Amino acid sequence: MKSERNGQEETDHREPLEQNQTEKQVSFTGRVLTIGFIGGLFWSLIGYLLYLLNFTKIKPALVLTPWVVADWKDQALGNWIGIFIIAFLSMLVAMAYKILLAKFKHMITGVIYGIILWGIVFYLLRPIFPALEPIQELGTNTVTTTLCLYVLYGLFIGFSISFEYDELTKARQEGH
Amino acid sequence: MHPKKEETPIHKKIAENEKFLKDKMGIGKSFDVGVRKMNILNKEVHIYYCTGLCDSEFIIMLLKELLEVDHEYRTSAKTKDVIKNHLAHQQVSTAKNLDEVIDRVLSGLIAVLIDGQNEGFIVDVRSYPGRTPQEPDVEKVVRGSRDGYTENIVENTALTRRRLRDGRLRNEIMQVGDRSKTDVCISFLEDVADPGLIETIRGELKAIRIDGIPMADKTVEEFLVKQGWNPFPLVRYTERPDVAATHLLEGHVLVFVDTSPSVIITPTTFFHHVQHAEEYRQTPMIGAFLRWIRFAGMLTSIFLLPLWLLFVLHGELLPENIDFIGPNKKSNIPIFLQIIFAEMGIDVLRMAAIHTPSALSTAMGLIAAVLIGQIAIDVGLFVSEVILYVALAAIGSFSTPSYEMSIANKIVRLILITLVFLFGVPGFVIGCTAVLLYMCSIKNLNTPYLWPFIPFNPQAMLQVLVRVAVPLSKVRPSIVHPQQHKKQSDA
Repeated sequence: MKSERNGQEETDHREPLEQNQTEKQVSFTGRVLTIGFIGGLFWSLIGYLLYLLNFTKIKPALVLTPWVVADWKDQALGNWIGIFIIAFLSMLVAMAYKILLAKFKHMITGVIYGIILWGIVFYLLRPIFPALEPIQELGTNTVTTTLCLYVLYGLFIGFSISFEYDELTKARQEGH
Repeated sequence: MHPKKEETPIHKKIAENEKFLKDKMGIGKSFDVGVRKMNILNKEVHIYYCTGLCDSEFIIMLLKELLEVDHEYRTSAKTKDVIKNHLAHQQVSTAKNLDEVIDRVLSGLIAVLIDGQNEGFIVDVRSYPGRTPQEPDVEKVVRGSRDGYTENIVENTALTRRRLRDGRLRNEIMQVGDRSKTDVCISFLEDVADPGLIETIRGELKAIRIDGIPMADKTVEEFLVKQGWNPFPLVRYTERPDVAATHLLEGHVLVFVDTSPSVIITPTTFFHHVQHAEEYRQTPMIGAFLRWIRFAGMLTSIFLLPLWLLFVLHGELLPENIDFIGPNKKSNIPIFLQIIFAEMGIDVLRMAAIHTPSALSTAMGLIAAVLIGQIAIDVGLFVSEVILYVALAAIGSFSTPSYEMSIANKIVRLILITLVFLFGVPGFVIGCTAVLLYMCSIKNLNTPYLWPFIPFNPQAMLQVLVRVAVPLSKVRPSIVHPQQHKKQSDA
């Protein structure tokens, strides 16, 4: 009687856990999205902190400027919303890395990816950010701080995704 | 792997053996090695020993037993078998060559050689001088087991085995050092630990060519991981058997080295150095709280001083609501130099505290705290804020659980302070970035150093940030590549 009940409990418990396991194997994309989200969240938080310490003139709310004109975007609320928007945009950035560069193992790929992103935001996309001054007028502090942030962000996204991809391919090779 | 040494087989004539052993071990020249000759069943029997490493009580009992053989048996009996049968000890093995005999005797075992036989017997009567297990000084807990590893490798593996009675726990022993022949043991769970990692460690250990390793685990570590000029500790040490057993269960590989109470845990990442057994002796909530306080302490120890110096040198950066920060009085010496002097002073104090006998340490503390600190401010050498922030940074580094890590953090802090002094904001941010990039690039035993932060792993990072309740942490960390992913069975 007792053993029967135990047996039933076993099957009850096992099923959801086994599902978990298969889910884990499929969800490389899910992991990439998580990495992107957390990466955007964390590094824009650091960016906000550095803005508060006057290291840089760029604040997370900058991402709002193309489509929000209301006053709140210049206050703390704007920055917090900006941080979350950056986190969501960062998921796209991570997906782009996954598609283009995931198979490059070395961490330098991520660093270069970060530098390229910085170039895109501060050169190519400058027209859509009316608040963004030209690079010459940003000053050394702002330029170095933002560049370093993008380098670390690129490293975070790139190295994480490449590492995950590498582990996955290794696991697959061993599996077959 | 070792260059094959010519081996001298045991000679049938015992006089030949004696001559060889006397020559090689210096019996008669070194006072601590000796031979006891006796006559049993009309055969000459030699017992070789090394005083101090073996237990005389046992040897006397063995000798008594052997002497009784002489009365009981007739001389025609098979001497060798009779003697082997009467070696009253559970660990008796046979030796075929004299080099093995030398190794064994110098490890504290005794060798019994019989005239007319080309085999000898080795009896394990070792008893090393050493202490009993005590609570390790650096890893104290409020509650929990108080036994710690000792300098004896056999006791250490036994303390581990007491916590893991698993037949799949493997303790592979080998000798390192051509002269010292130190015992080194690799421990792992055979069906959990990554076979590739075990193979790597085994290979690295076998490749060590050195005369001796009196500094034990530290020397082995330097052969195992390529340290170079990297200040960060690449392996974690523990002196607690419970911590070691926990890591074995997670799929880590441990390296025990005889004569050292610290055990090497591999592979190690940065975040292994920020954990402490105490967190796992408290409720998860308290454990997480302790850990966050510790993180705050560590961040303070790295970033507080450089940031403060930055705000002193570039007052315009200070946010409005904290603009009271910064020295109010003009000082005669540049703040940068004051910080460097104070930092050096703390290190000098720390070193002095290690070397000072405890009877004098109170006096030293008094001189240091009251005289130097207070009077340096009074005479205008130091600004009081410098003392405050340097002290905060020092306290922060004391809260780092790993001593090695706290010193590495100190180096980072000094580099950042210098960069801030030279280049201001760009120096600070580029310095931080460079240090992070460098730490990311460290790979020891194929493990990225900053995992699970970079490369990011959500589950493992959660385990670092909060102390998860044990029933809820069901899987082993993926970084050790465990053969079995789960540590709690499904049912």
